[in-house]
Amino acid sequence: MSKDSKMRATINQKLTEMGERERLKELLRSKLTECGWRDQLKAHCKDVIKEKGLEHVTVEDLVVEITPKGRVLVPDSVKKELLQRIRAFLAQHAT
Amino acid sequence: MKMEDMSLSGLDNTKLEALAQDIYSDLVEDACLGLCFEVHRAVKQGYFFLDDTDQESMKDFEIVDQPGVDIFGQVYNQWKNKECVCPNCNRSIAASRFAPHLEKCLGMGRNSSRIANRRIASSNNMNNKSESDQEDNDDVNDNDWSYGSEKKAKKRKSDKNPNSPRRSKSVKHKNVLLGPKPCCRSGSSVRAVER
Repeated sequence: MSKDSKMRATINQKLTEMGERERLKELLRSKLTECGWRDQLKAHCKDVIKEKGLEHVTVEDLVVEITPKGRVLVPDSVKKELLQRIRAFLAQHAT
Repeated sequence: MKMEDMSLSGLDNTKLEALAQDIYSDLVEDACLGLCFEVHRAVKQGYFFLDDTDQESMKDFEIVDQPGVDIFGQVYNQWKNKECVCPNCNRSIAASRFAPHLEKCLGMGRNSSRIANRRIASSNNMNNKSESDQEDNDDVNDNDWSYGSEKKAKKRKSDKNPNSPRRSKSVKHKNVLLGPKPCCRSGSSVRAVER
């Protein structure tokens, strides 16, 4: 197992060092904005805030409410594209 | 890209796929957290609900979709049928034709052939004057008149040149084969010369 985790650590490190992680982040952000995911979640945020009260809402509240919904709402095409890029990167650098 | 053909030390396909999924998961969570922080800051700083307007104002500024009126509710061809009186010739002109009419009427626009009009006007004056002065010196006066008007015409022409873009036209006609023109209208002609 430790060999695996070592391997994972190396790959993650490579991902960050080569700037690929940043690029993937940017790609994901722009795709999600384009497809309206951000606006959807923002609308959901509004509901949460109205529920908890403007003064008392915390980051934790938002994270707990938003993150699960956010994961689900990502469109399939975006997910596929990102996974493709990640796999391509792994295929290149996982040896 | 066939992953089965590649030999990977330690990790097989399922593990790689799991790794890919994990990385993807991290990225999505990152995006979600980013949004949460943004929203939270906007809430605490008070600008989260800024772009929400109350219902009343929304109704005030709704897009208008009536005939004869633009989307703001203003009548846009209100001034089409109004008429203005020209200060020069005292005629009543339609508003949309007023500017071009003024151009021609005052002799100040590009195509208003002011020189021709002035020449006609002045030649009429001179004609009347010379005739009234001496009928014996018709020839002399005639010469004077024609020379004078030609002089005037030439003067006017040179007067016109520095101000109007027609200068380039006369240059063009004279020096067709010389190098690139100083004027900027010569897109195609410059290319032709360079060939």
